[in-house]
Amino acid sequence: MTAAAHPARFRTSQSIAAQRRFADRLATVILWGCALAIVVLLAFFVGYILYLGLPTISWHFLTAPPSEVEAGGGIGPEIFNSFYILILTLIFTVPTAMAAGIFLQEYARPGVFTTTVQFCAESLATIPSIVMGLFGLIVFVSLLRWHFSAIGGALTLTILNLPALMRVTQEALSSVPNAFREGSMALGATRWQTIVRVVLPSAIPPLTTGVILIAGRIFGETAALIYTAGVSVSPGKSAFDWGLFHPAETLSVHLWYTHSEGLIPDGAQVGNGTALVLLVVVLLFNFSARILGRWLSRRLTGA
Amino acid sequence: MISASPTERTSQSSKLRVEDLNVYYGDFHAIKHANLVVPENIVTALIGPSGCGKSTFIRALNRMHDLTPGVRVEGTVVLDETNIYEADLDPVTLRHRIGMVFQRPNPFPKSIYENVVYGPKIHGLRSRKSLLEIAERSLRNAALWDEVKDRLHQSALGLSGGQQQRLCIARVLAVEPEVILMDEPASALDPIATSKIEDLIGELKKTYTVVIVTHSMQQAARISDYTAFFLLGDLVEVGKTSDIFTKPKDKRTEDYITGRYG
Repeated sequence: MTAAAHPARFRTSQSIAAQRRFADRLATVILWGCALAIVVLLAFFVGYILYLGLPTISWHFLTAPPSEVEAGGGIGPEIFNSFYILILTLIFTVPTAMAAGIFLQEYARPGVFTTTVQFCAESLATIPSIVMGLFGLIVFVSLLRWHFSAIGGALTLTILNLPALMRVTQEALSSVPNAFREGSMALGATRWQTIVRVVLPSAIPPLTTGVILIAGRIFGETAALIYTAGVSVSPGKSAFDWGLFHPAETLSVHLWYTHSEGLIPDGAQVGNGTALVLLVVVLLFNFSARILGRWLSRRLTGA
Repeated sequence: MISASPTERTSQSSKLRVEDLNVYYGDFHAIKHANLVVPENIVTALIGPSGCGKSTFIRALNRMHDLTPGVRVEGTVVLDETNIYEADLDPVTLRHRIGMVFQRPNPFPKSIYENVVYGPKIHGLRSRKSLLEIAERSLRNAALWDEVKDRLHQSALGLSGGQQQRLCIARVLAVEPEVILMDEPASALDPIATSKIEDLIGELKKTYTVVIVTHSMQQAARISDYTAFFLLGDLVEVGKTSDIFTKPKDKRTEDYITGRYG
């Protein structure tokens, strides 16, 4: 075994090595730049909204009812309605979507039924929200004669978000290693005990993320609500209108309405203020949901 | 009968009796007409090259294949007097009597204590005092107590691989099974952790019937009383470990243990 007997060893030439180093650096710079661009964009966006919206913000603006024709209206009921419809929608969506997701991921065997459900959910997810809004208008507003109502809006948003949250649940469950399920079943646990005690607690972080994303969509949803929850609030009521069958204009609908349809002279300012409040409210919700998720996860997994 | 020697023990009644067992993955016939008697309070090792079906076989003994779509099991496995594949038998109750330790340690993402008492809790035990007692006894029997007694409420995922595997054994002991199945329990561990697991198995057979899959013939020789050799889905030969390793009857067994089989 002499060195000569060995075929010539393959070595990278100087120029190729330099090229590779250059490509590596270039990639680093580009990727870093893209990441930075996202931060800059967000900062600019938030800054601009702050700049436009801050002058409008006052205690009066945050609590007073909106005005139809005169200047100086507030957005008190809209803030409440945004949360009210969000909570209602989550109450309808989370249990249903999670149950469906758990069934498909943990119980259903692959087959025609599973494929059909999956296909329907994916088709449902691609329906534009304005179409959902018109569906809500026909079913909840006209057929059921609920007129513009908080519950009609919430149910429309439920249909809109069910498939996405079901998908999120499936993904979250599939991220839990099968070894946990086997370990639990091998100790004599039933499938349900395994899901409740091992699988779901391990899936809390991705589930939290999913619910937060869905909640963000619900907060920001406009088109599906214009024809279902309406563009007005009950006159004469306080900011906290718990009536399920009362019209319930949300922040994002109000933003759209004041800018495009409204008659008030200070529509632009009210719109800017509304945008700022909407942004802050979404951020606050995200932060608190994340903290709650982390607490739950630590509580249930002891990690 | 108080100090029965291994030879006397083997004359005892069988704990598990496998008769004409067949396992199919779709069209693939993974276990072909296997017959095996597992005596009580004895370690039985299942050896053979990768893909020979030994893991498939052991997973048929506590109906783990039920959980995987597309797997079909035929034949009978008799635990004491009951065929575990009888239609009206509840696999959940069965797995209470036949515990299993897996190849890779799989502690739940919970505290050490919660891992050990998981089994007793799902079977309905609520008393905190008895749960604590069970936790301590199981961890002692799994030779882990001294290492974890001061951090019972910390996450089990912070333990080393060997400790995690002993925790998984403690978790099985806590439900007080009669048979413990182990599927290559030391293959993901370093030599020191492996020897701890092997010592532990030697202790366990005093109280439990152990069936262990191993890819290491040395390990089978060290810890088992009986050995069964699998090849390409056939259970080729079974006998006392000393006989299998010194005077195998089948040519294929001899080729394998002498290293002539790939």
